[in-house]
Amino acid sequence: MLAYLARRFLFALFLVFAVSSASLLLVRMAPGDYATESLGITARAATMEQTRRLYGLDRSFAQQYGHWLARAAHFDFGRSMAYDRPVADLIPERAANTAILAVTALFAATALGIPLGIITGSRRTGLLPAVIRTVSITLLSMPPLLTSLFLVFFAARTGWLPLGGMGGGTADVTGGALVDLVRHLIVPAAALAMPLAAMFERLQSQAMAETIGQPFVLAATARGVPRLRVVWRGALKAALRPVTSIYGLVVGTLLSGSFAVEMITSWPGLGRLMLDALRARDVYLVAGCAAAGSVFLAAGTLLSDAALAFVDPRAAE
Amino acid sequence: MMGRRIGIVLVALWCVGALGAASFAPHTASDHFDGLLNAPPTLPHVRDEAGAWHAPFIYRWRLVDQLEQRYQEDRTTGVPLRWLRGGHVVEGNDQAGSPLLLLGADGFGRDVFSRLLFGARTSLTLSIAAAFGAMMLGGAIGGIAGYAGGLTDDLLMRASDFIIVLPAMYVALALRSILPLVLEPRIVFVLLAIIFAVVGAPFISRGVRAIVRSEGRLEYAVAAASLGAGHWRVLGRHLLPATRGFIAVEMTMLIPAFIVAEATLSYVGLGFPEPIASWGTMLRDASDVRAFADFPWLLSPAAAMFVLVLGLNLIVQDRRPEDWH
Amino acid sequence: MRTEPASFNRLTRRDASTELVSILTQAKLVRVNRATQEIEPWLATSWTRSADGLRYTMKLRPNVAFSDGQPFTADDVVFSFAAAYDERSASVLSDSLQVNGKKLTVAAVDPLTVIVTFPAPFGPGVRILDNLPIFPKHKLQSALDAGTLAKAWTLETPPAELAGLGPFVLSDYVPGQRLVFIKNPHYFMKDAAGASLPYLDRITAQIIPDQNAEMLALASGQIDLTSDAMRPEDYAPLRRAKNAGRLQLLDLGVGYDADSLWFNLKPNAFAADPRASWIQRDELRRAISMAVDRKHFADTVFLGAGAPVFGPETPANREWFSADVPQTPYDPAGAKALIESIAPGQTVRFTLLTQKGRSSLERGSAVIRDELQKIGVIVDVVPLDGNALIQRFVSGAAYDAIYFRAAATDTDPALTPDFWFSFGSAHMWDIAEPMPATPWEGQIDALMAKQIASADLAERKRLFAEVQKIFAEHQPAIYFAAPRVFVAASTRVTNLAPALIRPHLLWAPDRIAVAAGAPRATH
Repeated sequence: MLAYLARRFLFALFLVFAVSSASLLLVRMAPGDYATESLGITARAATMEQTRRLYGLDRSFAQQYGHWLARAAHFDFGRSMAYDRPVADLIPERAANTAILAVTALFAATALGIPLGIITGSRRTGLLPAVIRTVSITLLSMPPLLTSLFLVFFAARTGWLPLGGMGGGTADVTGGALVDLVRHLIVPAAALAMPLAAMFERLQSQAMAETIGQPFVLAATARGVPRLRVVWRGALKAALRPVTSIYGLVVGTLLSGSFAVEMITSWPGLGRLMLDALRARDVYLVAGCAAAGSVFLAAGTLLSDAALAFVDPRAAE
Repeated sequence: MMGRRIGIVLVALWCVGALGAASFAPHTASDHFDGLLNAPPTLPHVRDEAGAWHAPFIYRWRLVDQLEQRYQEDRTTGVPLRWLRGGHVVEGNDQAGSPLLLLGADGFGRDVFSRLLFGARTSLTLSIAAAFGAMMLGGAIGGIAGYAGGLTDDLLMRASDFIIVLPAMYVALALRSILPLVLEPRIVFVLLAIIFAVVGAPFISRGVRAIVRSEGRLEYAVAAASLGAGHWRVLGRHLLPATRGFIAVEMTMLIPAFIVAEATLSYVGLGFPEPIASWGTMLRDASDVRAFADFPWLLSPAAAMFVLVLGLNLIVQDRRPEDWH
Repeated sequence: MRTEPASFNRLTRRDASTELVSILTQAKLVRVNRATQEIEPWLATSWTRSADGLRYTMKLRPNVAFSDGQPFTADDVVFSFAAAYDERSASVLSDSLQVNGKKLTVAAVDPLTVIVTFPAPFGPGVRILDNLPIFPKHKLQSALDAGTLAKAWTLETPPAELAGLGPFVLSDYVPGQRLVFIKNPHYFMKDAAGASLPYLDRITAQIIPDQNAEMLALASGQIDLTSDAMRPEDYAPLRRAKNAGRLQLLDLGVGYDADSLWFNLKPNAFAADPRASWIQRDELRRAISMAVDRKHFADTVFLGAGAPVFGPETPANREWFSADVPQTPYDPAGAKALIESIAPGQTVRFTLLTQKGRSSLERGSAVIRDELQKIGVIVDVVPLDGNALIQRFVSGAAYDAIYFRAAATDTDPALTPDFWFSFGSAHMWDIAEPMPATPWEGQIDALMAKQIASADLAERKRLFAEVQKIFAEHQPAIYFAAPRVFVAASTRVTNLAPALIRPHLLWAPDRIAVAAGAPRATH
């Protein structure tokens, strides 16, 4: 067991290293650099050279990479050029914001998607399963940009909810800071959770239906065991398998933030940071974001594999 | 069975529409009418104001306010639809300024319906090809990982983790800088299909791996192995079929995701050049508040995707064994 | 605001958000009134020019204090110049404070008087000082001495450390979300009645990255102002909000800038290219200008809320626009004939680069492509990521033509020399050419040099009108239409002085007031 964990940990470390290095390389390959981004098209050549020297952008990739590596070993992940702050400060701040959003969305999506999937999986005919299926499919065919835009539009039209940000803007807030945060959380979390719930529902539905068709279920029913009990006791655990296996992936990618949702709802999270960093060719920030993403993913997959072992002892190591 | 047939019909509908786009669509993907930006759909009527019956006709749109893009129907004359002319099944009267816009016009004055059909070609072929690629790749990786276990399993899974975590946008941006300025659609297609297949594979491989691992310990698999069946045989004939259901559902989710992702990648320049239409780009261009408030026909690619995904789901889910309650 | 400011240090960054923070918290010696384009005394109350036109003796306002209470003296002015010119910090302000590539010198005569010496006669005179915010010497001198000015006043700096002479003071910064500014009790300006400014007690700047979300927030009353103008597409929902009584819509008329199309006119850029015989010729550009129906262009790209323009100056620039400049007529047949004359029997085809994601550029290039197709010219429009485009251009890589907009920062052409002079970095069609590549560019160089040096306004206008004529004749950059500028604000906000240059309403933040009610304006 310990050996397994140690191996996973080593792999995770390697993953973080590999992803950060690849990101650094890719950002360098992309045309333009922070100097072009911040100075624009009319900048004088001399000014550009000066700026490049200031930020160390005139070094070769090998030099820059070596420099970054050496500092990373001391846990100094460099400074963001666009925000002029240490990367190690910026990322946890944004990651925490994304985490709040991600956890809420995940919770909502799981609470909604899995039970609904069980319902549609065990009952093929009927109005309720059909409605649920239709809603799921609708959500899956809408791009996340559109879903968030729609929700923000809806919030604007009805005026019930704030349109963006994380709260705390106005001086007088009824109910305190927590209520304010929750109010601001509703729109972005809904935008994230709805397609996710749809995905869970679809997968769960499929797995459920398959399991119910298994011989052991049929046998149990034949023996006279009440259907509900069969579903709960036997079928459920097996049926949770596919969803659990990708749960880790979902957690990992969710914690890296969704760019579309965060941008439209002005949520200061990691997803937005990642793409802004790419656009600005903010080299160290890009590497830092990629590293953070891989940490989350490694943690997520470990979690998922652990859950899988729990849910399906046959698959245990 | 009933559901399955409906599903096949829905999917076939789009395939036929895409293939026959040149005939079914009254216009090409790039025809634009400059006085009709964001014009609403021209609905065909059969009864005129006076109540008399006619062959199907449409009314023209008159521009009321250019800045607000408001139009009013010109109900004085009906413009009859013309059938089977010039290679088109049906069309309005383009020369007279009353084109047939079944789903209205977009922000450039292009016919949404025609672009939807032509876009189906691009989006459907790309996403289905990529989905199959992801299935092959993911199925193979997941199957091997789940069956072999141990170090192989770990290595393969961590490799797919790497692929998930590395943002595709970075790769696309770097890739775009290597490619020539003017992109050829075929090259873009192949590149996007490969990128999507690779990016989508891990989602499939993880689920396949989990299923294969647990199935692999079931009696029938062990029995088969003990009877001397080779590894590949056990994998191919016994274990992988158990993953069919999961893969099928996963693919129905990957396809719309790919259609949308094509638009996201075109944002960094790795997209189909004009005048090629695609559902993803159409939706991205429509991602504006005005689409919800004033121009809902711009969102028809989402409806189209809905129909497609519904059809796919109906086909897939009816593979289940009979409900037994 | 659309993005977070890159820093609180205006010396090192020039992005729109940093500029906005600077406008709110800092003051300059003189201010250019963005609405009237006139120079106003600001921290300097009066100035006299020496006989040779090189020295300006400026009297500073007495009894002015920074937001932390420290008195403002001539030493701060000298310091600010030194900070801007400091080589080690590579300030972005340095270029904008130079005349003919040389720096100004400044000396303090007494605590309330400075002498600014120009290296050469400069027509606009003290107008150039609108580019320099005054920094507190007592806060930043140590950084300057140590050479670490570039690292000073970053986003991590606690707001209490930032001292300025502007109407507001930064009180709170929540990263990624907002900045809160409160009234500066030491602000020196008073209104006509003698009441202290600013009228507002607090301004909250929200960071809203998406334009749609910003527009929705404005329309539903969650924010009061925006720093950008509205897009033509936003007009309808805002008009609805206006009719509902929540918003005021201000139509400021046609703006100063238009997008431009230019060809690569660098000598020998097409040396090995078979198109070399026609691609750099004046006739090609003239033909393109004649082939595009500008009214139709304005209708399609700006939904009718635009006006045709024919050169880099638009009629909005009342002071400098010359109406005598010949305008190319809309004549597709003539255009076709011209093309035939320079490229007989050949297919005229070129690649047009533009920036992805900017609606006016994408639409504009589509219209250009379509109009040119009608006269048989094939244009391959290639939208590129912004950085990729800039990199390509700046690195001198090969390109055929680019469609882009570089916004002017001032209406006085002498303050944008990089565009007009051949050696300038903004001389888009042939940047940084040490010697003029063509005779007419040489003529422009000479005229502009005279224009900058002359102190006689009428003379300067005459010279610049000549420049515009030469420009129109050869059209190194082709302009089609300029958009009308629409600005919206909630009905709570009063006493606005809208301007055509950004930030349209917040350039004079000290005068903005709010109708009786909560003393709060957000943006």
